Parts: sequence; structure tokens; C-alpha cells
Amino acid sequence: MSIVNYATREITCKIVYYGAGRSGKTTNLQYIYAQVPPERKGNMVSLATQTDRTLFFDFLPLDLGNISGFTTRFQLYTVPGQVYYQTTRKLVLQGADGVVFVADSQARQLAENVESLQDLHLNLAEHGMDARHVPLVIQYNKRDLPPEMLTGVDELQEALNFRGVPDFQADALHGPGVFETLRGISELVLKKLSAHQAAK
Amino acid sequence: MTTVAVTEAWAEAPLRQFVEDARVDLALLLHASGQVLGQAGFERRMDVMTACALAAGINATAAELGRMLDGKPFGALHYAGKSKQTFLALVDTRRGAFLLFCVFDERASLGIVQLYFGEFRHRLSAAAPDAEGPSTPLNEHFEGELNRNLAALFGRT
Repeated sequence: MSIVNYATREITCKIVYYGAGRSGKTTNLQYIYAQVPPERKGNMVSLATQTDRTLFFDFLPLDLGNISGFTTRFQLYTVPGQVYYQTTRKLVLQGADGVVFVADSQARQLAENVESLQDLHLNLAEHGMDARHVPLVIQYNKRDLPPEMLTGVDELQEALNFRGVPDFQADALHGPGVFETLRGISELVLKKLSAHQAAK
Repeated sequence: MTTVAVTEAWAEAPLRQFVEDARVDLALLLHASGQVLGQAGFERRMDVMTACALAAGINATAAELGRMLDGKPFGALHYAGKSKQTFLALVDTRRGAFLLFCVFDERASLGIVQLYFGEFRHRLSAAAPDAEGPSTPLNEHFEGELNRNLAALFGRT
């Protein structure tokens, strides 16, 4: 749920990075955190286990600056990917304005990606959100790995992107595709916000 | 006097009254999803957002624990530290459910905070409007501005 403050002309949006365990959600946020100058970001909060697996969520507030006269801020969250944190994922997803689905491109992870996407749809439904209307982009991560380890993008598209949402190939560890993914979801979220407000 | 800032004007008076009455150091009023509605005492906007995310996380976790252990969500939480205490509770309004999170020291007490929280809940419920705000926030050029700002954010200009 975007928050629009007309008095101070501020917009705040919540974006959730979703996906199977070890797909690279936290890595996306870590890369963004490393790239953004200190005055444009808050501290990155990671509620993680002792082995640095996300336990509850990671959180990174970003200041995008002035857009259409509104100071625009994005709150980036990740969810824990492991299957048994289903309840936690649902909680973090509450009030999301947009979702980045981070898919692990490794061939052996295809089933986990599909399962995680189904889990996303289920959790959106349980929040009363129509998955067809939630701004969503898909990131095919780990494209830097040797080709023999990867599922082809066409096959990933067929398995995961039946909605035809914007998709991005990425190597979140080193950066390629991270910025483009964030830009993609930002556009969708702001477009939807603008259309929603115009319809009022 | 503690500075109070809100994202929707109707929430300001109840929040300001609560902060003054209960003499809390910090207060956050937020949506259950973690989006801020108002704050008092914080200096950095980014700290507000982080505190909201964490407070919403605490509430969500406690609610689930409550359902598991007691059949219903825990309605309020209190933490008593050596010098600082925190209190977190839910307020239902026509506009939806909001969380109040506050931090206080020896100038206040849990009893005082709970007492004024009761009054705050009534004031906030009475002040909450039905409808959301008006007008179109973004012009047709927002995508260009967004791209420029994101590029600057990532040092690509």
C-alpha cells in the first residue's frame, strides 16, 4: 500500500523481493546498499540466522529523490526463502506495492522456483490481493554461472513467466541486472500508483 | 516540545496529545504493513522507516505467536529495559488497523502509557476519516525523472 502524503508531498512504496531459498534476494539488497550513497539510504537491517540465512526479512530504505514534485522513498524487503518460513513470507508480503520474483537460474533449482512462485500467488490471495494486478517483475539470477549449470531463459520464461511480466537476467553478486530490475519494478509500482490516483 | 510529523493530517492531534500526556521519548504510528503514518522524536527519516519495519515485524510475530498459544493475537507488547522501555499495541479504526510503538524512560511508566494509550485509541478512532486523499500525484514525465534519479542513485550519470 503506497503512502502518499499530499501535505509534505512524499510517496513511500513497499517492494518485496520474493523467491526460493538461496536465489539471491538478500544479495540484490546488499548490492544496492553498496552502490547507493549514504545520504540516500538507511541502514540495511538483516534479521538472519547465525549462518546468515534470512530468518525474518532484510530491509533497506531508499530515497529516490524528487519525482513529479514528490519526495519518493522505496522500502525494499526480502522474505526468507526456505519452505518452512511460509508464515513469515506471508507477513512480510502484507501491504506490498510490488514484487520482484528472484529466480535461481540453476537447472537443479527449477522446481524450487516454480514452487516459490506458487507460494507467492497463494500468499497474495490470502492477503486479498489479485496476483494479476500486483506489479511484478521476474529476475533470472546467477546468469554468470557456467551455461551447463543453467536453465535456458526460454525455458524459465515458459515455467515462470506465463503472465508475460518484465523479466531481467542478472548476476546479483557482481551487479549486472540488479539496477535494471529495481528500475523495472519501480516503474510498474509508480505507474500503478499514478493510475490508481487518477481513477479516484 | 517533541516534534511530531504525520503523513495524514487527521492523525497529528491524537499523536501529539499522546506524546505530551504520556511523556514518551519516541513514538511511531504505523500501518500494520510497516508504512509510517506519524512519528515523534526521530531525527532521521530513514531511521523512522527502519523502526517501522521492525515494529511491524514484532507485531506480526507476536500476533502469530498469540494465535498459536492463546487462540488470538497478542494485543499489546511491553519490554522493560534498564533505562528504556517500549510499548507496542494495535488500534483499530475505520481507516484500518494501526500500530502505536513508543519508547519511554523513568519520566513515564507502563501504567501511565497504558492509561493514555486508551485515550489515544479513542481519539484516533474518532479522527480517522473514511476516504483516502484526492488528486493525481504523478505527471506524465515521471518515468524520465525516475530513470534519472535511479541512475544517479547508482552512480550512472
